[in-house]
Amino acid sequence: MERGYWIKSKPVYTSLVWHEKATSHLVLAAGIGGMAALKLFQQMHPAQPVTVLYAKYAQMEVDYSATLKKIVPDNLHVFKFEEDLLTELKSIMPHMRMGLRIYVAGSEGFIWDVAKVVKPFGVENDHIMKELTDTLARSVYCVHCKAITRNVTTNIVQCCGCERMLFVRDHFSRNLGAYMGLMVDAESPGELPAIEEIYP
Amino acid sequence: MALNFKQETFRDDYTYKNSEEAIKRFPFPFPEDQYMYSVNIEPHTKGKPGSVYEFPFDVDEHYVAECKDRAITLEQDAGRYQALPHMMDAQWDFLELTMESLANDYPEHFTLTKNGSSWTWENRPLGIHDTFTFGDSSTLPREPLDYMGRQVQGDFVLLDQRDETLYADAGMVTCQADWSLAFNVGMSWREWHGPVPRATELGVMDRALKFLLNLQLANPVRRLNWTMTVNPRLDTSPENYPYWGGDRNKVNAENVSDLIHLRVELQSLFRLPRSNAIVFSIRCYLISLKDIATYPRWAKRLYRVQKTMHPDLIEYKGMTKFHPLVVEWLSQFEDGADLGIGTQPE
Amino acid sequence: MNMIDVRVAAVEQVTPLIKHFKFVKEDGSQLPPFSGGSHIVVAMDAEGRTYRNPYSLMGSPTDTDAYHISVRRQENSRGGSAYMHENVRVGMTLKITHPVNLFTLAKMAHKHVLIAGGIGITPFMSQIEDLNRIGADYELHYAFRSYKQAAFVEELQKACGNKLHCHSDSDGHRLDMEALLRSQPLGTHVYVCGPSPMVVAVLETAKNLGWPDSNVHNEQFLAPPVGETFKVQLAQSNIEVQVPAEMSMLEAIEAAGVQADYLCRGGVCGRCELSVLECDGGLEHNDHFLTESEKASCSKIMPCVSRTKGKRLVLDL
Repeated sequence: MERGYWIKSKPVYTSLVWHEKATSHLVLAAGIGGMAALKLFQQMHPAQPVTVLYAKYAQMEVDYSATLKKIVPDNLHVFKFEEDLLTELKSIMPHMRMGLRIYVAGSEGFIWDVAKVVKPFGVENDHIMKELTDTLARSVYCVHCKAITRNVTTNIVQCCGCERMLFVRDHFSRNLGAYMGLMVDAESPGELPAIEEIYP
Repeated sequence: MALNFKQETFRDDYTYKNSEEAIKRFPFPFPEDQYMYSVNIEPHTKGKPGSVYEFPFDVDEHYVAECKDRAITLEQDAGRYQALPHMMDAQWDFLELTMESLANDYPEHFTLTKNGSSWTWENRPLGIHDTFTFGDSSTLPREPLDYMGRQVQGDFVLLDQRDETLYADAGMVTCQADWSLAFNVGMSWREWHGPVPRATELGVMDRALKFLLNLQLANPVRRLNWTMTVNPRLDTSPENYPYWGGDRNKVNAENVSDLIHLRVELQSLFRLPRSNAIVFSIRCYLISLKDIATYPRWAKRLYRVQKTMHPDLIEYKGMTKFHPLVVEWLSQFEDGADLGIGTQPE
Repeated sequence: MNMIDVRVAAVEQVTPLIKHFKFVKEDGSQLPPFSGGSHIVVAMDAEGRTYRNPYSLMGSPTDTDAYHISVRRQENSRGGSAYMHENVRVGMTLKITHPVNLFTLAKMAHKHVLIAGGIGITPFMSQIEDLNRIGADYELHYAFRSYKQAAFVEELQKACGNKLHCHSDSDGHRLDMEALLRSQPLGTHVYVCGPSPMVVAVLETAKNLGWPDSNVHNEQFLAPPVGETFKVQLAQSNIEVQVPAEMSMLEAIEAAGVQADYLCRGGVCGRCELSVLECDGGLEHNDHFLTESEKASCSKIMPCVSRTKGKRLVLDL
């Protein structure tokens, strides 16, 4: 299989910036992503309504909730875990109207979990502003057994489903929110290249 | 021409074999001594009688065996068929296009009878006879693309056109050269061509996209693509890579001409009327090096092309391990003759 | 280009300015089905020159017996719409292209808001057939000067029921764009077809309300504008073509017997794009296809609607 090509399906993440023309804003942050939310309010306090959902215990346990409470005027909701935030997100989405802009900051796993929740409500991932914080850890889709192994920090990982050793390719599926994992030693069983941490 | 459908396999004991006629009509893809990755799109117009271009969808001696192999692959992995919900109109377009083409071009094997929206489809080689209501999926045994995809040779991807690009939003893919529909479904043109090396830098993919966005009804187009495969295996999917990847180690100087097959994809694209989607048809033809060498002109041409291939492309096509053996075996045919331009066997 | 021979089966004066034409296939066979929002290009042979104008198909996409178009007589017609009004009669034969769709419905939309101004209603008439068939959520806003000048209101009422909202200027029922677009649910797509100020108003309003570009669709065929006379040198064919004031560059090139690619002939699709090799006085870009930077570069031009401000142009054709 090919190695080392620059693969253009990889998402590009940016720094969060308010969308000036929005009629309302929804900010979703987890862990260190709280800092990205704070930076947004450092830019300005928008005139339009803003809702902020923050999960304090993400991958790295850094809690910005105290500072956020001081800065965000109202409509701040703090959750312990990402799953709780996603549940709340699902329940508020039906009330949203066109003109809403969504901002997400956190790990790649969190970002694509959010994209998955809002998609059924008609929000395409292109319209979500995304900032990668926290960690570079990847979700890896095993092309052989279809299981997704989360929080992968190494170039090669054992599949949580079929236990094959997978090479983590740069090819990314927005639908699955995961990179492709392909058996690394299929042509020469047992011969593994060095396993290195490259997505800390 | 009456077709004799062969009993043969594309896995395990690999009894697949081309007849003399099948070799002669093989879509050999190299008109020149050098290979350049290019868009090379041309109108998919009617070709010479007997050629693979005679009809929009070519049916050949391998039809029944290929459909059987596809059924096995789908049985083992239902994920080879994917269809996002908004693609239902495109599915019916696909069913109509393929049924009408086959019935029109191979009347001895296929018949389509329309009575208003009540249609009857007969596929004699596969023993299928169904009456259904066009536009109503509940009257078919499977979704339209799932139903007809199993009855036409080749892989199919239905592309939805929106936001000035194309999305691979449905498909049936069981004889692919190493890409996964289950992974790629829903991807935009640029995303799913992400792994193509060099070509993207040359802007080839952007130009091809621009061309396809303007693809018109009744003006389908085609191009050939190729790679090499160990054994006449249709299902060289990443899904099953653990089962076929190791075959690359089995090639040696003695068996190279039997094991290595040139794998040519006849890719054709049709605009679909009701959905404005595009069907991307990828028909796979396989031929062993030994059978190619039946025609010395082809063997010489293939030698020259392979000898001058860029290493990145050899790697991308997964041929690195056995490529030197292929070049070595083909070198015996080289005599320096000027072959001119063209893909003809003689 | 693959053309279809059709016979004019019916002509009907719908309003003082609008005529409705029905085409059937000359050989009596079925026409191809199409998707809502498609158009065809009609070729008209008039006194030694050929007009090719795009018109939206307004019948049901599943009706393959006949195609329907409506033509509004343009005040400053270069000849195309006047020809359709004055010369095209029942029984005549014409050549048309296969349907092309540059104004498709977004299949993943949760709701569709259609906004038509005047004759801009035509593409929506085929789209609502598709929307009704798939049971989609939509509303159609039809704006016109007065009921007397409005075509097809009865047909629309029948097809859309209470999803139709008419806005008549003369009754003072103007369409409030801002109110309409402010209250839409997530996943709504808006489509507009009509006079240029209306299209611009919808695009601006949606932008100012934070709508993503991909949820906003417009169709705005441009009639090739009348300009100054100039000469085009075709480098590959090695001939020089005179472009008269009331002819488009594409028409002049075709009249000179040179085959050029085209699709929409309205500055939308990009198919007729040509490379400019030399140009002595700047380009007059009238298309919606090229980006601003491409336009500024003076290296590409859409001959279907664009011209030069100078006297001479050299094209790579």
